[in-house]
Amino acid sequence: MSEIELRNVTRRFDSGIEALGNVSVSFASGSMTFLTGHSGAGKSTLLKILLRLDVPTRGQVLVGGVDISRLAEKYIPLFRQNIGVVFQDHHLLDGRTVFENVALPLRLVGMSERDIERRVRAALSRVSLLAKERQFPPVLSTGEQQRVGIARAVVNRPKILLADEPTGNLDPELSKDIMDLFEQFKQVGTTVIIASHDRELINTMGIPIVELEQGHLLGAGI
Amino acid sequence: MIANRPIGKSLNKGPWPSPVSITIGGFIRVHYRVAKESFFYVSSHLGTSLLVWLLIGIALGLPAGLYLLERNLGAMSEDWQGKPGISLYFELSASDEAIEAVAQRLRQDVRVRAVSLVSSARALEEFKAYSGLADALAVIEYNPLPNSMRAVLADGLEPLQLELLSVSLTDLPGVQEVVVEKTWLERVTAITELISRLGFMLAVLFGVAAILVTSTSVRLAIESRLDELKVLKLVGATSAYMRRPFLYFGLSYGMGGGVIGAMLVSINISLVEEPLAEFLGSYGGSLNIIGLDYLFVAGMLGIGGFLGIVGALMASRQRLADLQVD
Repeated sequence: MSEIELRNVTRRFDSGIEALGNVSVSFASGSMTFLTGHSGAGKSTLLKILLRLDVPTRGQVLVGGVDISRLAEKYIPLFRQNIGVVFQDHHLLDGRTVFENVALPLRLVGMSERDIERRVRAALSRVSLLAKERQFPPVLSTGEQQRVGIARAVVNRPKILLADEPTGNLDPELSKDIMDLFEQFKQVGTTVIIASHDRELINTMGIPIVELEQGHLLGAGI
Repeated sequence: MIANRPIGKSLNKGPWPSPVSITIGGFIRVHYRVAKESFFYVSSHLGTSLLVWLLIGIALGLPAGLYLLERNLGAMSEDWQGKPGISLYFELSASDEAIEAVAQRLRQDVRVRAVSLVSSARALEEFKAYSGLADALAVIEYNPLPNSMRAVLADGLEPLQLELLSVSLTDLPGVQEVVVEKTWLERVTAITELISRLGFMLAVLFGVAAILVTSTSVRLAIESRLDELKVLKLVGATSAYMRRPFLYFGLSYGMGGGVIGAMLVSINISLVEEPLAEFLGSYGGSLNIIGLDYLFVAGMLGIGGFLGIVGALMASRQRLADLQVD
Protein backbone atom coordinates (compact mmCIF):
# COMPACT_ATOMS: atom_id res chain seq x y z
CA MET A 1 0.00 0.00 0.00
CA SER A 2 1.27 3.48 -0.85
CA GLU A 3 1.86 5.78 2.11
CA ILE A 4 2.50 8.71 -0.22
CA GLU A 5 1.10 9.23 -3.67
CA LEU A 6 1.56 12.23 -5.95
CA ARG A 7 -0.94 12.49 -8.78
CA ASN A 8 -0.14 14.85 -11.64
CA VAL A 9 1.46 17.37 -9.30
CA THR A 10 2.45 20.68 -10.86
CA ARG A 11 3.96 23.61 -9.00
CA ARG A 12 4.27 26.84 -10.92
CA PHE A 13 5.51 29.97 -9.14
CA ASP A 14 4.13 33.47 -9.68
CA SER A 15 7.26 34.27 -11.71
CA GLY A 16 6.13 31.64 -14.23
CA ILE A 17 8.87 29.14 -13.38
CA GLU A 18 7.59 25.57 -13.22
CA ALA A 19 9.37 23.75 -10.37
CA LEU A 20 7.36 20.55 -10.84
CA GLY A 21 5.44 19.52 -13.94
CA ASN A 22 2.80 16.83 -13.89
CA VAL A 23 4.70 14.54 -11.52
CA SER A 24 3.01 11.27 -10.56
CA VAL A 25 4.86 8.94 -8.23
CA SER A 26 4.17 6.83 -5.16
CA PHE A 27 6.16 5.74 -2.13
CA ALA A 28 5.18 2.52 -0.39
CA SER A 29 4.67 2.40 3.35
CA GLY A 30 7.92 1.38 5.12
CA SER A 31 10.01 1.93 1.98
CA MET A 32 13.22 3.86 1.56
CA THR A 33 13.68 5.89 -1.64
CA PHE A 34 16.26 8.24 -3.05
CA LEU A 35 14.92 11.39 -4.66
CA THR A 36 17.63 12.51 -7.00
CA GLY A 37 18.37 15.01 -9.71
CA HIS A 38 20.58 18.02 -10.38
CA SER A 39 20.20 21.35 -8.58
CA GLY A 40 16.91 22.94 -9.62
CA ALA A 41 15.40 19.58 -10.59
CA GLY A 42 12.53 20.09 -8.12
CA LYS A 43 13.66 17.88 -5.20
CA SER A 44 13.35 20.60 -2.55
CA THR A 45 9.98 21.76 -3.91
CA LEU A 46 8.70 18.21 -3.71
CA LEU A 47 9.92 17.85 -0.11
CA LYS A 48 8.31 21.19 0.80
CA ILE A 49 5.03 19.99 -0.66
CA LEU A 50 5.30 16.74 1.31
CA LEU A 51 5.94 18.74 4.49
CA ARG A 52 3.00 21.00 3.61
CA LEU A 53 5.22 24.09 3.49
CA ASP A 54 4.01 24.57 -0.06
CA VAL A 55 0.98 23.46 -2.06
CA PRO A 56 0.84 22.33 -5.69
CA THR A 57 -0.71 24.54 -8.30
CA ARG A 58 -2.38 21.45 -9.69
CA GLY A 59 -2.70 17.78 -8.78
CA GLN A 60 -3.13 15.77 -5.60
CA VAL A 61 -0.71 14.81 -2.83
CA LEU A 62 -2.16 11.87 -0.95
CA VAL A 63 -0.58 10.94 2.38
CA GLY A 64 -2.27 8.06 4.19
CA GLY A 65 -5.12 8.49 1.71
CA VAL A 66 -5.68 12.17 2.57
CA ASP A 67 -4.98 15.02 0.13
CA ILE A 68 -2.66 17.14 2.25
CA SER A 69 -2.83 20.11 -0.10
CA ARG A 70 -6.39 20.51 1.13
CA LEU A 71 -5.53 20.20 4.82
CA ALA A 72 -7.33 22.67 7.04
CA GLU A 73 -4.82 25.20 8.40
CA LYS A 74 -5.28 24.10 12.01
CA TYR A 75 -4.39 20.47 11.17
CA ILE A 76 -1.08 21.30 9.49
CA PRO A 77 0.97 21.33 12.74
CA LEU A 78 -0.51 17.96 13.72
CA PHE A 79 0.42 16.60 10.28
CA ARG A 80 4.00 17.83 10.68
CA GLN A 81 4.28 16.26 14.14
CA ASN A 82 4.12 12.90 12.34
CA ILE A 83 6.88 13.74 9.89
CA GLY A 84 10.55 13.78 10.74
CA VAL A 85 12.76 16.13 8.73
CA VAL A 86 16.53 16.12 8.39
CA PHE A 87 18.06 19.22 6.86
CA GLN A 88 21.39 19.63 5.12
CA ASP A 89 22.20 22.62 7.36
CA HIS A 90 20.79 20.85 10.44
CA HIS A 91 18.56 23.72 11.68
CA LEU A 92 19.77 23.22 15.27
CA LEU A 93 19.35 25.88 17.96
CA ASP A 94 22.83 26.96 19.01
CA GLY A 95 21.69 28.27 22.40
CA ARG A 96 20.16 24.97 23.47
CA THR A 97 21.92 21.78 24.46
CA VAL A 98 21.89 18.67 22.31
CA PHE A 99 19.30 17.21 24.68
CA GLU A 100 17.03 20.27 24.40
CA ASN A 101 17.33 20.31 20.60
CA VAL A 102 16.23 16.70 20.36
CA ALA A 103 13.48 17.21 22.96
CA LEU A 104 11.88 20.06 20.97
CA PRO A 105 9.21 18.00 19.12
CA LEU A 106 8.24 16.27 22.38
CA ARG A 107 7.94 19.45 24.41
CA LEU A 108 5.34 20.92 22.12
CA VAL A 109 2.97 18.00 22.65
CA GLY A 110 3.21 18.38 26.44
CA MET A 111 4.95 15.08 27.12
CA SER A 112 6.01 14.45 30.72
CA GLU A 113 9.61 15.17 31.66
CA ARG A 114 10.22 11.49 32.44
CA ASP A 115 9.01 10.34 29.00
CA ILE A 116 10.98 13.10 27.30
CA GLU A 117 14.17 11.97 29.01
CA ARG A 118 13.55 8.35 28.07
CA ARG A 119 12.78 9.10 24.43
CA VAL A 120 15.55 11.66 23.91
CA ARG A 121 18.17 9.37 25.44
CA ALA A 122 16.97 6.49 23.27
CA ALA A 123 17.22 8.66 20.14
CA LEU A 124 20.65 9.98 21.11
CA SER A 125 21.79 6.48 21.87
CA ARG A 126 20.81 5.36 18.37
CA VAL A 127 22.94 8.09 16.82
CA SER A 128 25.77 7.41 19.33
CA LEU A 129 25.64 10.88 20.92
CA LEU A 130 24.36 10.10 24.39
CA ALA A 131 27.65 11.23 25.93
CA LYS A 132 27.25 14.67 24.36
CA GLU A 133 23.68 15.45 25.49
CA ARG A 134 24.78 18.43 27.64
CA GLN A 135 26.91 20.01 24.92
CA PHE A 136 25.86 22.82 22.62
CA PRO A 137 25.72 22.32 18.81
CA PRO A 138 28.50 24.80 17.90
CA VAL A 139 31.10 22.64 19.68
CA LEU A 140 30.09 19.52 17.75
CA SER A 141 31.56 18.37 14.43
CA THR A 142 29.44 18.61 11.26
CA GLY A 143 28.76 14.88 11.35
CA GLU A 144 27.69 15.06 14.98
CA GLN A 145 25.41 18.00 14.27
CA GLN A 146 23.82 16.02 11.45
CA ARG A 147 23.25 13.10 13.79
CA VAL A 148 21.62 15.43 16.36
CA GLY A 149 19.32 16.57 13.53
CA ILE A 150 18.48 12.94 12.78
CA ALA A 151 17.81 12.19 16.46
CA ARG A 152 15.42 15.15 16.58
CA ALA A 153 13.71 13.96 13.40
CA VAL A 154 13.05 10.47 14.74
CA VAL A 155 12.44 11.17 18.45
CA ASN A 156 8.71 11.51 17.83
CA ARG A 157 8.64 8.12 16.02
CA PRO A 158 7.43 9.68 12.76
CA LYS A 159 5.54 7.82 10.10
CA ILE A 160 7.52 9.54 7.37
CA LEU A 161 11.14 10.67 7.42
CA LEU A 162 12.22 13.30 4.88
CA ALA A 163 15.91 14.05 4.51
CA ASP A 164 17.19 16.91 2.36
CA GLU A 165 20.82 16.24 1.32
CA PRO A 166 21.60 14.64 4.70
CA THR A 167 25.10 13.64 3.65
CA GLY A 168 25.93 16.82 1.76
CA ASN A 169 28.79 17.93 4.02
CA LEU A 170 29.96 14.55 5.22
CA ASP A 171 32.82 12.24 4.21
CA PRO A 172 31.92 8.88 2.59
CA GLU A 173 32.38 6.87 5.76
CA LEU A 174 30.11 9.12 7.81
CA SER A 175 27.61 9.21 4.94
CA LYS A 176 27.46 5.43 5.04
CA ASP A 177 26.83 5.48 8.81
CA ILE A 178 23.94 7.88 8.36
CA MET A 179 22.44 5.81 5.56
CA ASP A 180 22.63 2.78 7.83
CA LEU A 181 20.66 4.73 10.43
CA PHE A 182 17.97 5.50 7.86
CA GLU A 183 17.91 1.83 6.95
CA GLN A 184 17.18 1.02 10.62
CA PHE A 185 14.23 3.41 10.66
CA LYS A 186 12.91 1.84 7.50
CA GLN A 187 13.09 -1.55 9.20
CA VAL A 188 10.65 -0.36 11.89
CA GLY A 189 8.11 0.77 9.25
CA THR A 190 9.04 4.41 8.68
CA THR A 191 8.71 5.63 5.09
CA VAL A 192 12.05 7.27 4.28
CA ILE A 193 12.60 9.69 1.39
CA ILE A 194 16.13 11.01 0.92
CA ALA A 195 16.78 13.87 -1.47
CA SER A 196 20.36 13.64 -2.67
CA HIS A 197 22.48 14.24 -5.75
CA ASP A 198 25.38 12.14 -4.40
CA ARG A 199 25.55 9.63 -7.30
CA GLU A 200 28.27 7.56 -5.70
CA LEU A 201 26.29 7.07 -2.52
CA ILE A 202 23.08 6.30 -4.41
CA ASN A 203 24.80 3.69 -6.54
CA THR A 204 26.29 1.90 -3.54
CA MET A 205 23.00 1.73 -1.57
CA GLY A 206 20.93 -0.24 -4.06
CA ILE A 207 17.56 1.23 -3.05
CA PRO A 208 14.74 2.61 -5.25
CA ILE A 209 15.39 5.93 -6.98
CA VAL A 210 13.01 8.61 -8.17
CA GLU A 211 14.85 10.91 -10.55
CA LEU A 212 13.71 14.40 -11.42
CA GLU A 213 14.98 16.69 -14.16
CA GLN A 214 13.82 20.27 -14.52
CA GLY A 215 10.69 19.49 -12.56
CA HIS A 216 9.72 16.39 -14.52
CA LEU A 217 9.92 12.77 -13.53
CA LEU A 218 12.77 11.23 -15.47
CA GLY A 219 12.36 7.75 -14.11
CA ALA A 220 11.93 5.46 -11.15
CA GLY A 221 13.77 2.26 -10.40
CA ILE A 222 16.69 0.72 -8.61
CA MET B 1 -7.43 12.02 -15.65
CA ILE B 2 -7.24 14.24 -12.60
CA ALA B 3 -9.40 17.31 -12.91
CA ASN B 4 -7.67 20.63 -12.43
CA ARG B 5 -9.19 22.37 -9.45
CA PRO B 6 -8.37 25.28 -7.21
CA ILE B 7 -6.30 24.33 -4.19
CA GLY B 8 -7.38 27.27 -2.03
CA LYS B 9 -10.11 25.56 -0.03
CA SER B 10 -8.92 23.59 2.99
CA LEU B 11 -11.21 20.77 3.87
CA ASN B 12 -9.31 17.86 5.34
CA LYS B 13 -8.21 16.80 8.76
CA GLY B 14 -4.78 15.19 8.83
CA PRO B 15 -4.21 11.54 8.00
CA TRP B 16 -3.04 10.68 11.51
CA PRO B 17 -3.97 11.42 15.10
CA SER B 18 -1.57 13.34 17.35
CA PRO B 19 1.49 11.24 18.24
CA VAL B 20 0.79 12.07 21.89
CA SER B 21 -2.66 12.96 23.19
CA ILE B 22 -2.41 16.18 25.16
CA THR B 23 -3.83 15.78 28.66
CA ILE B 24 -4.67 18.50 31.19
CA GLY B 25 -1.41 17.65 32.92
CA GLY B 26 0.44 18.07 29.63
CA PHE B 27 -1.28 21.40 29.03
CA ILE B 28 -0.24 22.64 32.48
CA ARG B 29 3.31 21.34 31.92
CA VAL B 30 3.61 23.27 28.66
CA HIS B 31 2.37 26.48 30.33
CA TYR B 32 4.62 26.02 33.35
CA ARG B 33 7.66 25.43 31.13
CA VAL B 34 6.90 28.41 28.90
CA ALA B 35 6.19 30.68 31.89
CA LYS B 36 9.51 29.68 33.45
CA GLU B 37 11.41 30.29 30.21
CA SER B 38 9.70 33.67 29.76
CA PHE B 39 10.61 34.67 33.32
CA PHE B 40 14.24 33.79 32.65
CA TYR B 41 14.16 35.76 29.40
CA VAL B 42 12.70 38.84 31.09
CA SER B 43 15.16 38.64 34.01
CA SER B 44 18.14 38.01 31.73
CA HIS B 45 17.29 41.20 29.79
CA LEU B 46 16.80 43.20 32.99
CA GLY B 47 17.88 46.58 31.56
CA THR B 48 15.33 46.43 28.75
CA SER B 49 12.68 44.98 31.05
CA LEU B 50 13.14 47.79 33.59
CA LEU B 51 12.71 50.41 30.87
CA VAL B 52 9.56 48.72 29.60
CA TRP B 53 8.19 48.42 33.16
CA LEU B 54 8.92 52.11 33.81
CA LEU B 55 7.23 53.21 30.57
CA ILE B 56 4.15 51.12 31.27
CA GLY B 57 4.24 52.18 34.93
CA ILE B 58 4.12 55.87 33.99
CA ALA B 59 1.38 55.19 31.43
CA LEU B 60 -0.72 53.41 34.06
CA GLY B 61 0.24 55.61 37.02
CA LEU B 62 -1.07 58.91 35.68
CA PRO B 63 -4.67 57.83 35.00
CA ALA B 64 -4.61 55.71 38.16
CA GLY B 65 -3.54 58.76 40.18
CA LEU B 66 -6.34 60.82 38.64
CA TYR B 67 -8.76 58.00 39.43
CA LEU B 68 -7.73 58.14 43.09
CA LEU B 69 -8.04 61.94 43.11
CA GLU B 70 -11.50 61.75 41.57
CA ARG B 71 -12.58 59.09 44.08
CA ASN B 72 -11.36 61.12 47.02
CA LEU B 73 -12.91 64.37 45.80
CA GLY B 74 -16.15 62.48 45.20
CA ALA B 75 -16.07 61.14 48.75
CA MET B 76 -15.32 64.62 50.06
CA SER B 77 -18.25 66.19 48.23
CA GLU B 78 -20.53 63.36 49.36
CA ASP B 79 -19.48 64.09 52.91
CA TRP B 80 -20.34 67.74 52.42
CA GLN B 81 -23.65 66.94 50.77
CA GLY B 82 -24.57 64.94 53.87
CA LYS B 83 -24.46 68.09 55.99
CA PRO B 84 -25.07 71.16 53.79
CA GLY B 85 -24.63 74.43 55.59
CA ILE B 86 -24.81 78.20 55.62
CA SER B 87 -22.22 80.54 57.10
CA LEU B 88 -23.29 83.91 58.46
CA TYR B 89 -20.81 86.75 58.97
CA PHE B 90 -21.83 89.54 61.36
CA GLU B 91 -21.03 93.22 61.21
CA LEU B 92 -18.05 94.14 63.41
CA SER B 93 -20.39 96.37 65.41
CA ALA B 94 -23.05 93.69 65.91
CA SER B 95 -24.04 93.32 69.58
CA ASP B 96 -24.10 90.04 71.48
CA GLU B 97 -27.87 90.35 71.79
CA ALA B 98 -28.29 90.71 68.04
CA ILE B 99 -26.09 87.63 67.48
CA GLU B 100 -28.04 85.62 70.07
CA ALA B 101 -31.31 86.70 68.45
CA VAL B 102 -30.12 85.37 65.10
CA ALA B 103 -29.02 82.11 66.77
CA GLN B 104 -32.43 81.74 68.37
CA ARG B 105 -34.13 82.44 65.07
CA LEU B 106 -32.10 79.70 63.41
CA ARG B 107 -32.63 77.13 66.18
CA GLN B 108 -36.38 77.53 65.81
CA ASP B 109 -36.25 77.04 62.05
CA VAL B 110 -37.18 73.46 61.02
CA ARG B 111 -34.79 73.70 58.06
CA VAL B 112 -31.84 74.03 60.46
CA ARG B 113 -30.37 71.03 62.24
CA ALA B 114 -27.61 72.66 64.33
CA VAL B 115 -26.10 76.05 64.96
CA SER B 116 -22.55 76.83 66.08
CA LEU B 117 -21.01 80.20 66.82
CA VAL B 118 -17.43 81.06 65.98
CA SER B 119 -16.41 84.13 67.94
CA SER B 120 -14.18 86.77 66.38
CA ALA B 121 -11.48 85.93 68.96
CA ARG B 122 -11.47 82.22 68.01
CA ALA B 123 -11.50 83.09 64.32
CA LEU B 124 -8.42 85.27 64.87
CA GLU B 125 -6.62 82.47 66.73
CA GLU B 126 -7.34 80.00 63.94
CA PHE B 127 -6.29 82.49 61.31
CA LYS B 128 -2.99 83.08 63.12
CA ALA B 129 -2.40 79.36 63.41
CA TYR B 130 -3.03 78.41 59.78
CA SER B 131 -2.21 81.55 57.75
CA GLY B 132 1.37 82.03 58.89
CA LEU B 133 0.61 85.74 59.26
CA ALA B 134 0.72 85.83 63.07
CA ASP B 135 3.50 88.46 63.14
CA ALA B 136 1.66 90.77 60.76
CA LEU B 137 -1.58 90.44 62.73
CA ALA B 138 0.23 91.33 65.95
CA VAL B 139 0.85 94.80 64.57
CA ILE B 140 -2.89 95.44 64.18
CA GLU B 141 -4.32 96.70 67.42
CA TYR B 142 -7.87 95.48 66.89
CA ASN B 143 -9.43 92.21 65.69
CA PRO B 144 -10.49 92.70 62.05
CA LEU B 145 -12.42 89.42 61.90
CA PRO B 146 -16.16 89.33 62.54
CA ASN B 147 -18.18 86.91 64.63
CA SER B 148 -19.60 84.17 62.46
CA MET B 149 -22.11 81.40 62.71
CA ARG B 150 -22.45 78.10 60.89
CA ALA B 151 -25.83 76.51 60.45
CA VAL B 152 -26.01 72.84 59.48
CA LEU B 153 -29.14 72.33 57.43
CA ALA B 154 -31.63 69.48 57.37
CA ASP B 155 -31.19 66.77 54.73
CA GLY B 156 -32.99 66.93 51.41
CA LEU B 157 -33.29 70.69 51.27
CA GLU B 158 -34.17 71.95 47.79
CA PRO B 159 -31.95 74.64 46.24
CA LEU B 160 -34.94 77.05 46.23
CA GLN B 161 -35.54 76.55 49.97
CA LEU B 162 -31.85 77.14 50.57
CA GLU B 163 -32.01 80.35 48.56
CA LEU B 164 -35.13 81.60 50.46
CA LEU B 165 -33.48 80.89 53.81
CA SER B 166 -30.35 82.70 52.70
CA VAL B 167 -32.34 85.81 51.65
CA SER B 168 -34.37 85.85 54.89
CA LEU B 169 -31.16 85.70 56.98
CA THR B 170 -29.50 88.54 55.07
CA ASP B 171 -32.22 90.92 56.29
CA LEU B 172 -31.71 90.15 59.97
CA PRO B 173 -30.14 92.91 62.12
CA GLY B 174 -26.37 92.63 62.52
CA VAL B 175 -25.88 90.17 59.65
CA GLN B 176 -23.45 91.41 57.02
CA GLU B 177 -23.10 88.42 54.69
CA VAL B 178 -24.60 84.99 54.17
CA VAL B 179 -22.56 82.38 52.32
CA VAL B 180 -24.28 79.27 51.03
CA GLU B 181 -21.77 76.41 50.99
CA LYS B 182 -23.53 74.94 48.00
CA THR B 183 -21.54 77.18 45.66
CA TRP B 184 -18.26 75.77 46.91
CA LEU B 185 -19.75 72.29 46.68
CA GLU B 186 -20.79 72.87 43.09
CA ARG B 187 -17.24 73.83 42.28
CA VAL B 188 -15.89 70.67 43.88
CA THR B 189 -18.45 68.60 41.97
CA ALA B 190 -17.51 70.33 38.70
CA ILE B 191 -13.80 69.75 39.35
CA THR B 192 -14.51 66.10 40.19
CA GLU B 193 -16.41 65.70 36.92
CA LEU B 194 -13.57 67.36 35.01
CA ILE B 195 -10.98 65.11 36.65
CA SER B 196 -13.16 62.08 35.96
CA ARG B 197 -13.35 62.87 32.25
CA LEU B 198 -9.69 63.80 32.08
CA GLY B 199 -8.85 60.52 33.83
CA PHE B 200 -10.92 58.56 31.32
CA MET B 201 -9.26 60.29 28.35
CA LEU B 202 -5.80 59.72 29.78
CA ALA B 203 -6.65 56.11 30.67
CA VAL B 204 -7.59 55.45 27.03
CA LEU B 205 -4.57 57.28 25.60
CA PHE B 206 -2.03 55.83 28.01
CA GLY B 207 -3.66 52.40 27.78
CA VAL B 208 -3.03 52.47 24.03
CA ALA B 209 0.52 53.67 24.75
CA ALA B 210 1.06 50.74 27.15
CA ILE B 211 -0.20 48.32 24.48
CA LEU B 212 2.14 49.82 21.88
CA VAL B 213 5.14 49.70 24.23
CA THR B 214 4.48 46.04 25.00
CA SER B 215 3.79 45.27 21.37
CA THR B 216 7.11 46.79 20.27
CA SER B 217 9.06 45.02 23.02
CA VAL B 218 7.46 41.68 22.18
CA ARG B 219 8.14 42.21 18.51
CA LEU B 220 11.83 42.68 19.29
CA ALA B 221 11.77 39.49 21.36
CA ILE B 222 10.17 37.65 18.42
CA GLU B 223 12.82 38.95 16.02
CA SER B 224 15.58 37.71 18.33
CA ARG B 225 14.04 34.21 18.34
CA LEU B 226 13.12 33.85 14.66
CA ASP B 227 15.42 30.88 14.08
CA GLU B 228 13.85 28.99 16.95
CA LEU B 229 10.35 29.84 15.73
CA LYS B 230 11.15 28.56 12.24
CA VAL B 231 12.42 25.26 13.64
CA LEU B 232 9.35 24.99 15.87
CA LYS B 233 7.10 25.51 12.87
CA LEU B 234 8.95 22.79 10.96
CA VAL B 235 8.56 20.24 13.75
CA GLY B 236 4.83 20.87 14.04
CA ALA B 237 4.33 23.59 16.64
CA THR B 238 0.88 25.15 16.54
CA SER B 239 0.48 28.93 16.26
CA ALA B 240 -0.80 28.98 19.85
CA TYR B 241 2.33 27.17 21.04
CA MET B 242 4.62 29.60 19.23
CA ARG B 243 2.65 32.59 20.50
CA ARG B 244 2.54 31.43 24.13
CA PRO B 245 6.00 32.60 25.32
CA PHE B 246 5.33 36.05 23.92
CA LEU B 247 1.99 36.28 25.69
CA TYR B 248 3.85 35.51 28.91
CA PHE B 249 6.35 38.26 28.03
CA GLY B 250 3.45 40.67 27.56
CA LEU B 251 1.89 39.55 30.83
CA SER B 252 5.12 40.02 32.76
CA TYR B 253 5.82 43.39 31.14
CA GLY B 254 2.26 44.57 31.87
CA MET B 255 2.18 43.29 35.45
CA GLY B 256 5.64 44.69 36.16
CA GLY B 257 4.41 48.02 34.76
CA GLY B 258 1.39 47.76 37.06
CA VAL B 259 3.65 47.35 40.10
CA ILE B 260 5.79 50.34 39.05
CA GLY B 261 2.62 52.39 38.40
CA ALA B 262 1.23 51.60 41.87
CA MET B 263 4.60 52.52 43.40
CA LEU B 264 4.67 55.85 41.53
CA VAL B 265 1.15 56.71 42.73
CA SER B 266 2.09 55.74 46.28
CA ILE B 267 5.27 57.87 46.20
CA ASN B 268 3.37 60.87 44.85
CA ILE B 269 0.69 60.55 47.51
CA SER B 270 3.30 60.41 50.26
CA LEU B 271 4.82 63.61 48.82
CA VAL B 272 1.54 65.58 49.01
CA GLU B 273 0.19 63.90 52.15
CA GLU B 274 1.56 66.37 54.70
CA PRO B 275 0.57 69.67 53.03
CA LEU B 276 -2.82 68.17 52.14
CA ALA B 277 -3.44 67.15 55.74
CA GLU B 278 -2.56 70.70 56.89
CA PHE B 279 -4.87 72.19 54.26
CA LEU B 280 -7.80 70.00 55.27
CA GLY B 281 -7.05 70.61 58.93
CA SER B 282 -7.46 74.34 58.35
CA TYR B 283 -11.05 73.58 57.33
CA GLY B 284 -11.58 71.43 60.37
CA GLY B 285 -11.33 68.21 58.35
CA SER B 286 -8.89 65.37 58.45
CA LEU B 287 -6.99 63.52 55.72
CA ASN B 288 -8.36 60.11 54.93
CA ILE B 289 -7.14 58.95 51.49
CA ILE B 290 -9.36 56.21 50.19
CA GLY B 291 -8.68 53.76 47.38
CA LEU B 292 -4.93 53.13 47.79
CA ASP B 293 -5.28 49.59 49.06
CA TYR B 294 -4.65 45.95 48.06
CA LEU B 295 -7.57 46.09 45.65
CA PHE B 296 -6.04 49.11 43.91
CA VAL B 297 -2.68 47.34 43.53
CA ALA B 298 -4.43 44.18 42.31
CA GLY B 299 -6.39 46.31 39.83
CA MET B 300 -3.16 47.90 38.56
CA LEU B 301 -1.61 44.43 38.12
CA GLY B 302 -4.72 43.10 36.39
CA ILE B 303 -5.09 46.05 34.01
CA GLY B 304 -1.33 46.06 33.31
CA GLY B 305 -1.35 42.32 32.64
CA PHE B 306 -4.38 42.61 30.36
CA LEU B 307 -2.87 45.47 28.34
CA GLY B 308 0.42 43.54 28.14
CA ILE B 309 -1.32 40.47 26.75
CA VAL B 310 -3.24 42.56 24.21
CA GLY B 311 0.02 44.17 23.05
CA ALA B 312 1.78 40.80 22.84
CA LEU B 313 -1.15 39.28 20.98
CA MET B 314 -1.08 42.10 18.43
CA ALA B 315 2.64 41.72 17.80
CA SER B 316 2.79 37.92 17.76
CA ARG B 317 -0.30 37.29 15.62
CA GLN B 318 0.95 39.61 12.93
CA ARG B 319 4.59 38.51 12.98
CA LEU B 320 3.99 34.77 13.25
CA ALA B 321 1.43 34.87 10.46
CA ASP B 322 4.13 36.39 8.23
CA LEU B 323 6.76 33.83 9.29
CA GLN B 324 8.24 32.13 6.23
CA VAL B 325 10.05 28.82 6.57
CA ASP B 326 12.50 27.82 3.86
